[in-house]
Amino acid sequence: MSAIEPTDADRYPLLSPDGRRMLDFLREHPHAPIYRNHSGNRLDAADLAHVRRHEAETLAATVGWPRNGHPDWLVSFLENVRQDVPHYRTYPTSTRLEDLPTTTRADFGQNIAAFVPDSVPTERMINFQTSGTTGHPLLIASHPRVAASYLAYHKRALRRFGVTLAATRGQVGVVLLGFQQTCFTYVSVTPSMDEAGLAKINLHPADWRDPAAPAAYLTALAPEVIAGDPLSFAELLRLEVHLRPKALLCTSMTLLDGLRKQLEAAFSCPVLDLYSLNEAGPVAVFDPRAHGHVLLQQRLYVEILDPAGQPVPAGQRGEITLTGGFNFCLPLLRYRTGDFASLAWHDGEPLLYGLEGRPVVRFRKPDGTWLNNIDITHALRPLPLARFAVHQRGDGTLAVSLEATDAIHAEALAALRKLFGPEARIKSVPFASPSGKVVQYSSALADAAP
Amino acid sequence: MNHEGPSLETLLRRIAETPSDFLAAPHTPGSRTGVHVNAVVSDLLTTYGHTVASLSDFETAENAADKRRAGLTLVLCWLLAEPALIATKLDVEPLHALLTEGATDLAAQFSAEKYLAEPERREELARFALARIDLRPSGETVAQAQDRLTALSSAERARVIKASRKAEQRAREIREALARKAAQESADKYTRE
Repeated sequence: MSAIEPTDADRYPLLSPDGRRMLDFLREHPHAPIYRNHSGNRLDAADLAHVRRHEAETLAATVGWPRNGHPDWLVSFLENVRQDVPHYRTYPTSTRLEDLPTTTRADFGQNIAAFVPDSVPTERMINFQTSGTTGHPLLIASHPRVAASYLAYHKRALRRFGVTLAATRGQVGVVLLGFQQTCFTYVSVTPSMDEAGLAKINLHPADWRDPAAPAAYLTALAPEVIAGDPLSFAELLRLEVHLRPKALLCTSMTLLDGLRKQLEAAFSCPVLDLYSLNEAGPVAVFDPRAHGHVLLQQRLYVEILDPAGQPVPAGQRGEITLTGGFNFCLPLLRYRTGDFASLAWHDGEPLLYGLEGRPVVRFRKPDGTWLNNIDITHALRPLPLARFAVHQRGDGTLAVSLEATDAIHAEALAALRKLFGPEARIKSVPFASPSGKVVQYSSALADAAP
Repeated sequence: MNHEGPSLETLLRRIAETPSDFLAAPHTPGSRTGVHVNAVVSDLLTTYGHTVASLSDFETAENAADKRRAGLTLVLCWLLAEPALIATKLDVEPLHALLTEGATDLAAQFSAEKYLAEPERREELARFALARIDLRPSGETVAQAQDRLTALSSAERARVIKASRKAEQRAREIREALARKAAQESADKYTRE
């Protein structure tokens, strides 16, 4: 069954001659990279109408819920999933959300089918594969409508920065950048943007015929938006390519202020730090005026939980836990993300404050006192680091992996020495994996988890 | 079974007091006599405040199996007319499902007379009916009610096995769908995590 090769008619059901020309332009440009894969929007006319309706609703919606209360859609959502989703049918009868069990990535990994509603047909399911920071691959059930609906939340996020997307046929809407040894690359068009082009490319030299090609290709595409992660954006900076996108969308890893400022200066546009998960799509965007990540989805409820699954008092840090979402193939019910923040309120809207991708890890100073990993983030924040990881060994030595120029590398080590004191043993080590996600903070010390 | 219903004693007493009219032979197209099951169902649904456009599901065919099913529908109508159940304001869908599919499942095991004659079968009937309308006897947890029902009811055991087979098939279909080449190619997103 898995051997049936999809055709372009499957990938682009609504493709017009203009759309076809865009695909040819992206694929056949003299500086184009070696495209290694195929994908498409897979949207038919009914899907496109659905995606447009969803976008209009999303842009008009209010996000949030009353303080000390729940969103009004929650009761019917709970009722639905408890009837329609095999795993949730086994839950106790309490209608209070806080009494229900939590779920984790491991539960999805064990049996993803138990979390897919019975009412969802399987014919057009797609999957998003994620390795996560823990290294366990996981297939997330999804649908072309869900994938296409991401854009509505991006538009909502961009609106906060005064950016309105307007790319149309004959133009390139977005380039998604990777910078990895191996990367899924392809071209497509976006029907809800009148078939503006979409290219997912890998900046790694192995994907290009000539070292000057990436800059020349990106210049020719002149994308309205560039999406990527700190690693690929750092590589983009190195290319010294002259581009004028309306915005950069950054996902996947912690974006430090130093790199953000460099990118903003280089491209004269806002750089949006999106908190986005395969399991939930774009959850929040960092808004410097709010000093936190502002939520983006009108049907996503966020709880902050302690390790026992109980909500922590307002303002206290805990694990970000999600209920609801727009992926109708995988409705979330108290899904523990593995990410940590506190919930705060800004202008009546809930927001994630102090978002960190991993549980809090404490680091021991030579004098026996402890530092929080957030202190390390603060110390390194001004520096343009594409990627970093700090591990404390059992003997207290800090093993630091940094992706930066020599000068910035030295500055980062100096910042850590200032933080931990002159007695601290700090060693530079290579990353555990040469590319991809990293475990930002870890420790071999028994008392590292507070 | 998610909500508490009346006590088991209330329902057992009601079953024990089933009037003989509800045990009469059902009317069929070929008979001049017999109880019109669809009329009894109509009365019951009206009592619950529902109106039903069509009662054709409750007409009885000329074969023994359908007559047996109709016999169970009649007994269930009597049971469901218990005021403590009417007070729970049940929706029409679960009532309809119990009186059709539920009656068929029960009739596959025993006749209406047998369900009334033996104490264990009376308890099975009461518990089975409650479960199909998402209720459990008052004072019991979901786990207690489910355990007792599964222990008593061969119809329930058959249902559990059938449901489990169906769930396994669905899970297999989902896993196969996600493993398809088309699913692996995924679909466009403006950002990737």
